[in-house]
Amino acid sequence: MAKNWVGRVRSWMAKNMDLPQDVMMDLPRITMIGQIHVYIENHRGLLTFTDKELRLLLKQGQLLIKGKSFVIKTILPEEILLEGKIDQVTYINDDKPGGEK
Amino acid sequence: MKNQWIVFLFGRVTVKVTGRGIERFLNVLTRNGILIWNVKRHGANTITFKIKLQDAMKIRHFARKSECRISFLRRSGMPFLLKRMFKNSGFLIGAGMFLVIVFLLSNVIWGIEIKGAKPATEYQIRQELDKMGVKIGKLQFFVDNEEGIQRKLTNNIGALTWVGVELKGTTYHLQVVEKNEPKKQKKLSPRNLVAKKKAIIVRMDIDDGQKKVDVNDFVEPGQLLVSGEIGQEGQKPRLVAAKGEVWGEIWYKSHVELPMKTTFSVYNGKEKRKYSLLFGKLEIPVWGFGKHGFKDYKTEINIHKLHFLKWELPISYVDRTIRESREAVRTYTVKEAEESAIEEARKEIKKKIDEEAIIKDEKILHRDIKNGKVILDIHFKIIENIAVGQPITKEIHE
Repeated sequence: MAKNWVGRVRSWMAKNMDLPQDVMMDLPRITMIGQIHVYIENHRGLLTFTDKELRLLLKQGQLLIKGKSFVIKTILPEEILLEGKIDQVTYINDDKPGGEK
Repeated sequence: MKNQWIVFLFGRVTVKVTGRGIERFLNVLTRNGILIWNVKRHGANTITFKIKLQDAMKIRHFARKSECRISFLRRSGMPFLLKRMFKNSGFLIGAGMFLVIVFLLSNVIWGIEIKGAKPATEYQIRQELDKMGVKIGKLQFFVDNEEGIQRKLTNNIGALTWVGVELKGTTYHLQVVEKNEPKKQKKLSPRNLVAKKKAIIVRMDIDDGQKKVDVNDFVEPGQLLVSGEIGQEGQKPRLVAAKGEVWGEIWYKSHVELPMKTTFSVYNGKEKRKYSLLFGKLEIPVWGFGKHGFKDYKTEINIHKLHFLKWELPISYVDRTIRESREAVRTYTVKEAEESAIEEARKEIKKKIDEEAIIKDEKILHRDIKNGKVILDIHFKIIENIAVGQPITKEIHE
């Protein structure tokens, strides 16, 4: 209940004080350059990495990126730059475990 | 983010990781502040990535705790490049030696060419050059520069009137003018002889032509002395080249002033040499440091340009000779002053007249001593060949 309340205050602040949502609400910021690059900020760690799939842990849920010939150009504690041919970016939520896989 | 060049400078390593839980291992590394890039997967349980050389040692520590095995594959960057360079330093030394040798050879005298000299004079010049150290195979910056060679050659060899020294690349070109060049006997065209100066004729030696004036005649410049038209009267004249000498007496007046006391600066033999290298405008002394401590001195600067193959480098080798000078006073008595004044006047006159002219008489017209100076007016009587050829052209003839 209390957590929900904090979440609501944050969302209200972001909406009314013109603050970026990703900062206020600890959401990932994903920047894509065509199909070739994805730049994800605010992730919580690497879960799987193959040349066809990248799975990242987020604060809430996971992020799944599928494509071909993936190379991680840079990886930092909270940032990751992925290169390759990206086909899809999917969010996987906690309340539906294994929904996508 | 990382800077490509700084990473290159400090070196980088490609790491291969095999085993289970590779992703977990990567997370551990990133959270511990190790920069990772170019992560690639090869097969089911192998990945490769690059890290900085400084991080290579730390990574072992983390690997021990995980279930993976690591191995280092490729090393690149500056530290490894340097290591390789030291290993192959022979090549580097060879390249350096090559440049040095080419540089030295570019500054060696490879030839001396003498033009316009008779064989005897050429031999003399070559000996004189040898004495100066200008020889084939010597380094250019240990010999005098062109002007110095030129000056020394003209001073030391009497037979030379003028010598032009030019350094073209590695060869000295000497253009020589000798004093008594053999006169070319050219075919003379019909001409008259006319007077070149105002004179009284004392003697006439005529080889060819019609005499128009006589001994003791007074002639003006340009006056006809010997005509080139000969032949009997009434007949058509024949044209010849008038030849001969007409000696006339000419009067010259010269005015000489000579101070009785003269100060000179003479070298007393003490000298100091300094050497330096000139880079553009920056001069770096190489040898000969310290002050010379001379009160009066003259500096002679000799700049040698350095060459590389055919190019002139912006570096010059400079050698300076600083000579101490001393003031010397020369004092004449009135008689001595007079004598040297006359001598000077004679020299002055001789410059104006031909070599074969004779000074017949000299008379001091006026003598004065004023402000420590001897002032003389001298009258010279000179016997000189005054005849000069003037070609007969159609216009004059008709």
